[in-house]
Amino acid sequence: MNWERIIVLIGKEWLELRRSRGLLLSMLLPPLLLPIFSLGLIFAMGLVSDPDTADIPAAAIDPALADLGLEALAQVIFGRQFATLFLLLPMVIPNVLASYSIVGEKNRRTLEPLLAAPISVGELLLGKVLAAIIPGIALTWLCALLFAVGMVVVVVDPVVPALVLHQGWIVMLLLASPLLALISVSLTVMISSRVNDPRSAQQIAGVLVVPVMLLFFGQILGLFVLNSLVALTFSAGLLLLAAILLWLATRLFQRETILTRWR
Amino acid sequence: MYAIECHRLGRQFDTLVAVADLDLAIPAGAIFGFLGPNGAGKTTTVRMLCALIAPSSGSARVAGYDVQSQAAHVRATVGILTETPGLYDSLTALENLIFFGRLYGLTADRAAERAAHYLRLFELWERRNDPVGGFSKGMRQKLAIARALLHDPTIVFLDEPTAGLDPAAARAVRHVIKTLRADGRTIFLTTHNLAEADELCDLIGVFRTRLISLDTPTNLRARLFGQSARIVLAGPAAPLVPLVQQLPFVSEVVAEERALLVRLTDPERNNPTLVRALVATGADICYLEPFTPSLEAVYLELLHDESAVAA
Repeated sequence: MNWERIIVLIGKEWLELRRSRGLLLSMLLPPLLLPIFSLGLIFAMGLVSDPDTADIPAAAIDPALADLGLEALAQVIFGRQFATLFLLLPMVIPNVLASYSIVGEKNRRTLEPLLAAPISVGELLLGKVLAAIIPGIALTWLCALLFAVGMVVVVVDPVVPALVLHQGWIVMLLLASPLLALISVSLTVMISSRVNDPRSAQQIAGVLVVPVMLLFFGQILGLFVLNSLVALTFSAGLLLLAAILLWLATRLFQRETILTRWR
Repeated sequence: MYAIECHRLGRQFDTLVAVADLDLAIPAGAIFGFLGPNGAGKTTTVRMLCALIAPSSGSARVAGYDVQSQAAHVRATVGILTETPGLYDSLTALENLIFFGRLYGLTADRAAERAAHYLRLFELWERRNDPVGGFSKGMRQKLAIARALLHDPTIVFLDEPTAGLDPAAARAVRHVIKTLRADGRTIFLTTHNLAEADELCDLIGVFRTRLISLDTPTNLRARLFGQSARIVLAGPAAPLVPLVQQLPFVSEVVAEERALLVRLTDPERNNPTLVRALVATGADICYLEPFTPSLEAVYLELLHDESAVAA
């Protein structure tokens, strides 16, 4: 691996991104709105006292929530749900970036000169993957940090932040986020070989939200509490999936295949 | 020393044979014109020689490197102008060149220096900081050629380098190609512009899946058309054909409205006899000139012959 070439490629990808204001805005705006929107709703939860909150299955299965007041309980339950939604970001952002990067190169017919350069396909793929993943993860962590800091301000009970931003969530952010980003980009590479429109690649890769939605609904239905063990188990599953998809993407991302088979 | 050598090089896509049994030896420092109709397999050949796709059969060495086992060396040694310029529209001309220069292993300073050299050479220096998206087709083509030359390749593959260029820009590109040859570089030129091939190439290969012919332009002409004379007359030419055909040194006669194209074995010895014979029958000769068929005529004749053989 020649890291200098990979860094040059990443630099070019990010330069193109900076020059594409529409893409940059669509990448930055929705993620930055998520913590603001979530914190606003969590704040609103603290203003109303609804006795039905205690009957939500998610409240019933976690003993740590037993002594909370109704407002704080509502903030914890909804806070945990919103916190789960942050796991969508490392999938959506790299997916958008990778689809524009790879399908875009294909449409503009810039892949052949790139492939003619003395860069290995491994370096090329790694450069493309990192250029898409790094902003995705960085933005996810930045938004999560904003969310965490904002939580301290909007909660009605000082114990709420620790119950929302628990170990399981941190494990998910640190471990699962990069894996979700890798899965998203690998799938985008595979889809890119078959489609000619970045939006098609994004839509097909939309299937990726399913695992995060399983977490979202699993929690609220009281099927499990997202503790460290669940987070590690989930991450292990993602690791396996990421390895399989990356292997498949590498198989498709071959010089000859791109030049002769990609349509 | 050959810059490019192929031995029975072939490529098949499923059942389609794109390139078959290509034997080629191009001397270092030559301009090789690779001519053939659309779909003949020229791009596939160039891709194999640039180590972008693997041959199905045979072997090839480019700059001494085997295209299969030393593909990375081949790619680092050659420069390629692809069919489409393939530039990044949102990047400036300078950024495009520096990016590719860095990919080819140049340092940032060296890449900038080389980029500046070629931007000046192609009269793009004033537009160096403009996004390429706003460039004309000709400007993009010149920039793509600059990109192919940036890392000082010893062998340059140019696919239709003057396509879409205005006459002045095309002339500038041809001048650059001649300069590259003068520097000792080998040029593999794919073109449909036969006048350009005629002007530039030391060696011509006519190709349709297989190599139909490989020779210098002069030899190709001589082989196909021999040595010919064109006799321009004051009156109609057709009635004189039977007389000329009877002359022992004439191998072929073609009549135009007021001219005869006569293929001779030795024009310097045969022309006086030919003129005397025509004058004796009362023909009014305006003038006689050596006839040099265009490369286009040679090319079409070769493809026609090959089609006839295939049929």
